[in-house]
Amino acid sequence: MTTDEATKPEGEVQAAALAERGEDITPAQDRGVLKIIKRPGHEDECPMIGDKVYVHYKGKLANGKKFDSSRDRNEPFIFSLGKGQVIKAWDIGVATMKKGEICYLLCKPEYAYGSAGSAPKIPSNATLFFEVELLDFKGEDLFEDGGIIRRIKRKGEGYSNPNEGATVEIHLEGFCGGTRFDCKDVKFVVGEGEDHDIPIGIDKALEKMQRGEHCILYLGPRYGFGEAGKPKYGIAANAELVYEVTLKSFEKAKESWEMDTKEKLEQAAIVKEKGTTYFKEGKYLQAVIQYGKIVSWLEMEYGLSEKESKASNSFLLAAFLNLAMCYLKLREYTKAVECCDKALGLDQDNEKGLYRRGEARLLMNEFELAKGDFQKVLEVNPQNKAAKSQISVCQKKTKEHNERDRRIYANMFKKFAERDAK
Amino acid sequence: MAVDELQAIIQRCQILEEADFRGEDFNLFQVAGQKCLEDGYAAQLLEVVQNEKNKVIIKNMGWNLICPLVRCILMYKQEDDNREHCLKILDLLVQLCNAKELFLGLLEQIEQTSGEQVCKTVMLLLQPLQTVLFKLQNKKAYSVGLSLAMIMSQLTPLPVPYTKQQIQEDKLGLCQCCNAVVDFAKPFVNEVVKNMEKSSECNDKELKEELLKFCMKSLKYPLLTAQLDQLESIEEHPFRRFAAEIIDILWNMRELIPLMFSHHKDRSQSWENEEFADIERKNSADSLACLSYLMFVQQFGIDCFPVVFSPSYLLQCNMVHIEVLLKSSIFSPLLQDLFESALLRMEDNSLLHQYLEFSDFLTVPQNLVKVMTLCPIEHLRKKSLNILQLFINKFDAEGKYTLFRCLLKTSNHAGVEGYIIKNIKDQIHLALMKVGGSSWFTGHHLISLLDLVLLLPDGAETDLLQNSDRIMASLNLLRYLMIKDSEYDNQTGVWTMLAKIEQSFLKPLHVGLNMSKAHYEAEIKNKKENRRDSNNSNTVCSVTVSGEKMPAMTTEMQLQVLRSALFTFDLIESVLARVEELIEVKIKAV
Repeated sequence: MTTDEATKPEGEVQAAALAERGEDITPAQDRGVLKIIKRPGHEDECPMIGDKVYVHYKGKLANGKKFDSSRDRNEPFIFSLGKGQVIKAWDIGVATMKKGEICYLLCKPEYAYGSAGSAPKIPSNATLFFEVELLDFKGEDLFEDGGIIRRIKRKGEGYSNPNEGATVEIHLEGFCGGTRFDCKDVKFVVGEGEDHDIPIGIDKALEKMQRGEHCILYLGPRYGFGEAGKPKYGIAANAELVYEVTLKSFEKAKESWEMDTKEKLEQAAIVKEKGTTYFKEGKYLQAVIQYGKIVSWLEMEYGLSEKESKASNSFLLAAFLNLAMCYLKLREYTKAVECCDKALGLDQDNEKGLYRRGEARLLMNEFELAKGDFQKVLEVNPQNKAAKSQISVCQKKTKEHNERDRRIYANMFKKFAERDAK
Repeated sequence: MAVDELQAIIQRCQILEEADFRGEDFNLFQVAGQKCLEDGYAAQLLEVVQNEKNKVIIKNMGWNLICPLVRCILMYKQEDDNREHCLKILDLLVQLCNAKELFLGLLEQIEQTSGEQVCKTVMLLLQPLQTVLFKLQNKKAYSVGLSLAMIMSQLTPLPVPYTKQQIQEDKLGLCQCCNAVVDFAKPFVNEVVKNMEKSSECNDKELKEELLKFCMKSLKYPLLTAQLDQLESIEEHPFRRFAAEIIDILWNMRELIPLMFSHHKDRSQSWENEEFADIERKNSADSLACLSYLMFVQQFGIDCFPVVFSPSYLLQCNMVHIEVLLKSSIFSPLLQDLFESALLRMEDNSLLHQYLEFSDFLTVPQNLVKVMTLCPIEHLRKKSLNILQLFINKFDAEGKYTLFRCLLKTSNHAGVEGYIIKNIKDQIHLALMKVGGSSWFTGHHLISLLDLVLLLPDGAETDLLQNSDRIMASLNLLRYLMIKDSEYDNQTGVWTMLAKIEQSFLKPLHVGLNMSKAHYEAEIKNKKENRRDSNNSNTVCSVTVSGEKMPAMTTEMQLQVLRSALFTFDLIESVLARVEELIEVKIKAV
């Protein structure tokens, strides 16, 4: 190395090295992203698309000026790979890295910020230089609740996903505790996988898959067969499942704004029956999906003729009442109350609506409000024995609560007085 | 005399043990002290408080004097000696009295002020409050939170100064007060930061939570409705300083970046059982939108933001905020600037249509259309239109296609529909210019789109006047297609559709035009005859605006309106004639 090279700023040397020896990692082979490995990784696997990736990095402009560094923030940078969250150069570059690897990337503007630049630090048409260290990566948590983790083996094409109600054709293999219990090719409507012994987690995951995608899904019990298990396959209650799914093709269901009123009313009838079937089988999550469709189609619909209006309201009322029942079973009481409110908005003396709202409120310990609802039920239908007994339950609970509060507060003041005296 | 009474109670208490102070003694002391202050004997009271022998008495009873003290301080003029004395008394009380009781006393004072007194009181008490809070041992975090919450809830009803003049005047003192409050909070922030550095397990989580709540509240009030652009002749814009300080606090507590992305949740159904978290999320939506605005438009704290995100992802994250601001009942000037700045970061045609999968991307333009058509303020309508066009330009061809379909179906406004149809024409033009142009604006996709464009909403009975914008745009599009796309190429498929277009568009249009023209001509004839017969026309209806009845239209005015309607029909008819001419020529040539 000549003395000239030694005195050049480090950035320039690196950039020059990249331009000369860097590997072109772009799919189009247009030298848009060049890479040199500074320190190889210590494991063999590369992160998959959709994985949550942890990196440290330093970014410099072509003139050597640093514009960003994750170490200055004392925190690794986290993002989902291959999803367009970051500039193209990164989605391409990080996907080639192994855990523990440090590499340099030289990125042309077409793979970075292009002609728009990025105010205030990146000018227009800027070539960027990055040093990136891949710290860790793990599967994508689809609903950010640990319920479904996905690792994509092969990326799908196109960019649309099946929506709820879409018809999908998939190949599926199910594993529990390492043994395979299911393997089939099946065509069904998203949200109705249950009809084919497919757990709700698959329905949910499909809405995030692309055509041709092949992935592995790790389902927690809530998204699996739940408490019921699946005796047919020998699956115990609350088992964790692993599925390998290939989405071969799908046809989207129409968006709400694409259907006209007539279509919506026709579909509402079909969907209502489906929902009721699921409900009777105790499949409340699936029932919620079906009834929910009625709400999303008809709730904001306007310009209806009188006849259509009547039909629409009747569907909406049934949907809200049934949704309330489902939410009660699912123990989501606030949502149950919301649905009852909406049902009562359409029919203020609806016996079922009042009763179910009372139930929900009772379970949320809002005894006074619950009692009020049950009393209204009796006003509408004095013969309703259940309401009568619920009212006495409310009264009993109110008394219990007051007793308990009294005991707690009495102790509390005593405790405070003791503490203050110290 | 007040001083004598005071001396009396002091002497009596001096000989008593602390435990023997009775409630009566407290009362007498307070009344006597209060009277001294009101009668102007602050100096004497100061002496009493300074007296070493009275230390125990003051420690126990002093905090009762806060209320009259504050009242007097605010009442007395700046130069008055009495005010000086009162301030000194306040200082001494802060040093001597029980921290807990003092805290309650100070907080009570803040709670009880209102209107013009709020800012003055708060600014007066911030320093003493801070000293007292540092003295508190247990429950310091809770007390800090309570103080900040109390102060902010007192400030919130005050109007936020908006114009340059209002800001400079700062009549109610809000600008000054806000900055004083954020300075007040800083030592607590420093404490949190120090604790964070000591151990990654933050013991002072509670204090951090309280400060976070304060920042979120500030983002909503006053920052959401404040004027935040640089103003000339104001070197230090108080709200810009305030905003910068809040961002600084968030950054130091390492919450800035996590907050920026906390609102970005996947749009699919989520099974949330934490219903409280849900409610809080709704409340914080406004604050997070403001935070995004501060970062991206005003560029506060942008140095800390990672420079690796793709512009489309940033747009996606901001769409949530834009949706929130569009739906919010508080009108915020930030909304359009935020949307515009996010869009300007993108290159044209770079936004993939997949983003339309996110419901925000379709509901935001629909809401923008509502602003464009319903907002009473003209420059906002114009700006919304510009932003809508910017938004359209960023999408790739399929995205534009889907967006056009959606807006045509949902906007319910002839002007907007006309505007979209013009956009479609521009896209077809681009597609025809390029060899192997986009498949979305030629061929069968275009045909399905044209189905929506080349029709009369109610057939021959369509109100042509109401829909004239849309009809003219459709006719112009059709004329363009006939001229540009030769029937041999038929790239757009328009020639194949010709029969259908004639059936569902051109023929009913003819009928409609004839009917409308006949109708209006008859009306004109009637009016002219009526005018001859009687001067007073019977008004069928009257219009009242703001309680004032508008003068009835004279017959002349009515005739003018009818004539201009006829003119519009003529215009439509002439373009229609030209189109049919073109059809005839081309068909003959074949």
